[in-house]
Amino acid sequence: MATFPLQVLTPERVVYEAEVDGLTVRTTAGDVGILRGHADYVAAIDIGFMQIRIGNQRRTAALSNGMLRVNRQKAVILVQACEWADEIDLERARRAEQAARQRLAAQKSDQDMALAEVKLKRALNRQQIAQKK
Amino acid sequence: MAGAGMRDIKHRIKSIESTKQITKAMELVASSKLRKAKERAQASRPFFNTLYETICDIASSNNDFSSIYTRQRKVRSSLYIVIAGDRGLAGGYNSNVFRFAETEMMRAQEQGQDIQVIAIGTKAVEYFSRTGRTILGSYPNFAEDMRTSSALGIAQLAAKAFREETVDEVYMVYTEFVSALTQEVHALQILPLSDSISGGGQPSSYVIYEPSPLEVFDNIVPKYMTGLIYCAVLESYASEQGARRTAMEAASDNADEMIQNLSLSYNRARQAAITQELTEIIGGASAAE
Repeated sequence: MATFPLQVLTPERVVYEAEVDGLTVRTTAGDVGILRGHADYVAAIDIGFMQIRIGNQRRTAALSNGMLRVNRQKAVILVQACEWADEIDLERARRAEQAARQRLAAQKSDQDMALAEVKLKRALNRQQIAQKK
Repeated sequence: MAGAGMRDIKHRIKSIESTKQITKAMELVASSKLRKAKERAQASRPFFNTLYETICDIASSNNDFSSIYTRQRKVRSSLYIVIAGDRGLAGGYNSNVFRFAETEMMRAQEQGQDIQVIAIGTKAVEYFSRTGRTILGSYPNFAEDMRTSSALGIAQLAAKAFREETVDEVYMVYTEFVSALTQEVHALQILPLSDSISGGGQPSSYVIYEPSPLEVFDNIVPKYMTGLIYCAVLESYASEQGARRTAMEAASDNADEMIQNLSLSYNRARQAAITQELTEIIGGASAAE
C-alpha cells in the first residue's frame, strides 16, 4: 500500500508522527479522506475527529480547534487538543458535559453562554469518539 | 572603638545572611518551577515550529488575496505583543526583552509608524505604561496559569485590531529558552501572512482551500495566533525561571563570599581588640610596679 507521512501535533505533545495508508478528518467543510499524492490542501478544524488507517488497522482520535495542511511531502494536523479514543477519560467528559449544561441553563452572559456551548460540544464529541474505539 | 567596629561588622554579616536565605529560597523555587516550565516549553516546541512553518508554507503558496490577513497594505501602525515576566529579580530577563522591543520599535518609528503594544506580564504592563506607549491590552499575571482560552483572547484582540486596520502589522517579542543559562529574545512577524513572513516562495495555483480561501484564512488565523502566543508564553516563562535561577545562584554565591570576607575582618578586629586590651593591662601593671 502507498503510505505517506502524517504529523499530528498539539502544544502539549507530538501525538503522531509516522507513515499512514489513509486519513479521514472532519473539517469545517465536512469529512475529507486523504491518500498518498493528494493535491495541496488547507482546511480548518473546529471540533471533530480523525481516523488513520495503517494496513487494516484503524485508530480514531478526537480533535478540537486547528488546521489540516497537506502538501506534496506530508500531511500535518495542528490542533489545540487531540486524544485517541482509548485515551479519553469518559468520566471527565461526562462531568464536563454536566458542568457545561448547568452553565448554559444559568444564562449569565452571551460570552459565558458561547464558552459553555463550545465546552458542551467538546464533551459530547469526546464521548462519541470514546464509544467508537 | 574596636568594639564598635566589631558590632557593625556583626550587623552586616547578619543582614547579608538573611538576604542569602531569601536568594537561596528563590533559587530553589525557581529551579523547581524551571523543571516543569522547561518540560512544557520543550513539549510545545514541535507544535510551535511546525505551526510557523506550515503557515509560512500556506502563505508562500497562496495567491489568493481575498482574505484581509493575506493582503499586503501600507504600514502606518504596527502592533507589538511583548511577553515579559510577572516579577523582577530575574537577572537581565525583563530588561533584555524591553531593550530588544525598544530597538525594534525605534526602527519602526523612524519609518513613521505608530506603535501599539499588547503587554503580557506585570513587568511589561508597568514598563510600557511608564514609557507612555499606546497600550492596546494589558495582561498582568498571565503566564503562571495560562489557558488556551486566555491566549485566544489576546489573539482575538490582535486580529480584531488588524481587521479594523488600526494596525497593519503584528509582531511578537518573546524569549526563547535555549538552556538554563542562555535565553534569546526574538521578534516574530505574525501578521499579515505574506511574502515577508515566508521569505518568498513559489505561489501555486493548485492549492485547494475548503470551503473557500476566505473562510479558511478567517478561521485559521486566530487559531494560528493563539497557538503561537501560547507557545511563546511557555518559552518565555521557562526563560524567566532559568534567568531567575541563575541570578539567584549568583546572588547566593556573592553573599557567601561577602560573609567570608566580613568574617575575616570581624576576626581581625576581635584579635586587635584583645591585643589592645592585653597591652593596656600589661602597661597598667608595669606602671603600678
